[in-house]
Amino acid sequence: MTPPADDEREPSLEKRETLPGQKPGDRRVRIVRSGGFRRDAGRLLATDEIFDQRGPIARAWEKTLRLLVGRRLNTDAEGEERVSVATGLPILASDNISSSAYATEEAMRVLALAGLGALALTMPIALAVVAVLAIVVLSETRVIRAYPNGGGSYLVARENHGTLAGLIAAAALLIDYVLTVAVSTAAGVAAIASFIPDVHDIRVPLALALIALLTLGNLRGVREAGLVFAAPTYAYMLAMLGLIGYGVFRVASGNVPAAAHAPNPFSDAGTQALALLLILRAFASGSVGLTGSEAVANGVPSFRKPESRNAVITLVLMGAIFSVVFLGLTYLATTIGIRPDLHEAETVNSLLTRSIVGDGSPYYYFVQVSTAIILLLAANTGFTGFPRLASVLANDRFMPRHFADMGSRLAFNTGILALAVVAGLVLTAFGGSVTSLVPLYTIGVFLAFTLSQSGLVRRWWRLRDRGWQFSIVLNSVGAVVTGVVLVVVAVTKFEHGAWMVILILPVLVAILYATHLHYRDVHDALVLQDLDLPIPELKPPAVVVPVARIDRAALQAIAFARSISKHVKVVHISTSDASADEFRLRFQRWAPHVSLDVIVSPYRSLVVPLLKYIDLLPKSDERPITIVLAEFVPRHWWEWILHSQTATRLKAALLFRPHTIVIDVPYHFEDTADLARRGKDK
Amino acid sequence: MQLKRILVAIGGSSVDPDVIRLSLTLARPAKAEIVAVHVIEVRWNLPLDAVLDPELDHGEQVLGAAAKIAEKGGQRIETELLQARDAAAAIIDTARERRADLVLLGMPYRTRLGRVYVGKTVQNVYVGSPCAVLAYRQEAPQ
Repeated sequence: MTPPADDEREPSLEKRETLPGQKPGDRRVRIVRSGGFRRDAGRLLATDEIFDQRGPIARAWEKTLRLLVGRRLNTDAEGEERVSVATGLPILASDNISSSAYATEEAMRVLALAGLGALALTMPIALAVVAVLAIVVLSETRVIRAYPNGGGSYLVARENHGTLAGLIAAAALLIDYVLTVAVSTAAGVAAIASFIPDVHDIRVPLALALIALLTLGNLRGVREAGLVFAAPTYAYMLAMLGLIGYGVFRVASGNVPAAAHAPNPFSDAGTQALALLLILRAFASGSVGLTGSEAVANGVPSFRKPESRNAVITLVLMGAIFSVVFLGLTYLATTIGIRPDLHEAETVNSLLTRSIVGDGSPYYYFVQVSTAIILLLAANTGFTGFPRLASVLANDRFMPRHFADMGSRLAFNTGILALAVVAGLVLTAFGGSVTSLVPLYTIGVFLAFTLSQSGLVRRWWRLRDRGWQFSIVLNSVGAVVTGVVLVVVAVTKFEHGAWMVILILPVLVAILYATHLHYRDVHDALVLQDLDLPIPELKPPAVVVPVARIDRAALQAIAFARSISKHVKVVHISTSDASADEFRLRFQRWAPHVSLDVIVSPYRSLVVPLLKYIDLLPKSDERPITIVLAEFVPRHWWEWILHSQTATRLKAALLFRPHTIVIDVPYHFEDTADLARRGKDK
Repeated sequence: MQLKRILVAIGGSSVDPDVIRLSLTLARPAKAEIVAVHVIEVRWNLPLDAVLDPELDHGEQVLGAAAKIAEKGGQRIETELLQARDAAAAIIDTARERRADLVLLGMPYRTRLGRVYVGKTVQNVYVGSPCAVLAYRQEAPQ
């Protein structure tokens, strides 16, 4: 019960000071715990005080970080970071809803290749897209019902079709999330460029800056990101419904507005024949509007309780809002006779808004600004989905472990940063062009849909629980429809860029699988199957202390080496016979009881002869060689470059050597100053 | 009286939150420092510096809760965990060592005995304290 003397104790943060009282029997013991930790039910709890920084640079960096990202959040606050339907809609459904801003244009751009007459097919194509969306939404409600803990297509495919199918779905979704960020940001910039033409020339840097802004927002955490972006999403819905309502009223009352003209409209005649393949390609381009509908099912755990119910409500609202906006815009664009711009200088939505409310009216700017913002929000859906999926994959050991680590704001920082970098590269590579990026899009999402829908069919068939007949029909229809759309998109967009996704997909699956194999091997090698296994008693190690010169750092390292073993050998490497002899003489005079080997290296190499020397020493699992390195640590980090860093080089070289333990004994400059001061005091 | 330092004795009872809030109110006008102390009384059959894990856990929990209440009230307080044979003597000696201007104690009581008996710790602090003593009396929940 009595605590042992200080030098016999195991390391402890607790210090006990006995203080005298006024009377002899009134002594008291003060229990001092080092700052930052406190006891909590027999454990030590690290409080936020441990992040208090000491140096001015570290303090300034921490302050800047907190200013940008926000204060650190306790893990207990995770529940508070969940979203309601009202905030979940902008976070998880904005991708799909915002697709209405460019889905009509993408279909029209393909049809316009066959001449203006072909644009009449835009409305039937829009109806087909909405029909597919309805099937997808209904099918996704089944996914939410079956998997209330989220995981989406990856989990469904993996559980019902096996690991490979799961990885294909995961890889497809990862690619899709990257493209969501790239396409949405590019489309957002295009919307801005429609009313500020000068922006067209700087669209790539502007898009990259916007991605950086989104990254920062997401590093602050999901709830704040949702709150910041909720208003613009509702503003977009209001703007679009107002525009459509007014436009339909004008058409219905016979006051059809004249179409505004694009700077470089498509020609009347067209350059291609109106073949079935072209119509299918237009449908494939229009079905870009279906992207983002998987985000809700993937993000069920982000919702407040009851998670499944809130997710289904959000999903249905999303489908309804998208359909109304997409069909309304398509109807008005075709009725008024809008012609898309050949060089993407102005969007169809901008032309349509100009036609209905007039050029330069405040409502025009309201529509354009809210469109630009919701497209950025759509990019945010990628930032919600990618890190979450990557964390699920990391937990299943298909992606590096860092992707599963939560940052100070309970966000998956590695996933967020990785997505920002990759999306930025893709966007730059495609010059920020929406039309160039769109062919790459949608393949991933439809592949994931097909795999998850067919996976659910197998699940219902296997479980046959209540209502399985209805579910199996629904998901079968969903699987067939999304499968057909997948084939259509892959065939019609293959030469326009889809081939890249088809090529990258298996490579990504192989990388995910190889990562898993590595983790499995490491786990097999490290895991302790039997906890009855006693901790082995090792013999004291044979210790080698490389010493460059006799100094305080060497003294400390040798003293430490002798504290852990009697078998200590000091090794010195000299570049000449004369310096070798001189060192031997001085060392034997200084420490005659310590064994010494002096190696002469006439080729002036220090590290290689030492490594060879260590390699040749006998060693085994029972008696590994221990290398004790004396490392001088300067007072300031920038002084580091003035020193040779031999210890650092040796550490790096010894890291991968078997049966070799490396112990670093740092010698801090402050210690020298203290010694000098103490010497003066005496 | 200008308060510079208040020593608050925290016993881990229901009255603690109110005692801390009262100390914040008293400290605010003169920006006085607050030191919250919890004393673990060690029985005579054990060494004074015995490691009493459950009591230490409880003590830290009590002081942690006090620090949280103070932080919510906008002030950071210092906390101190002590082991002693007699809580009153430890509080008095700490008050003297810290040059406290006021010792604030919580005094929960049950109706039947609370009117006649204040407890030996409060009584001894009253008698031996080098500074002013304020006891916050409150009926303990049944």
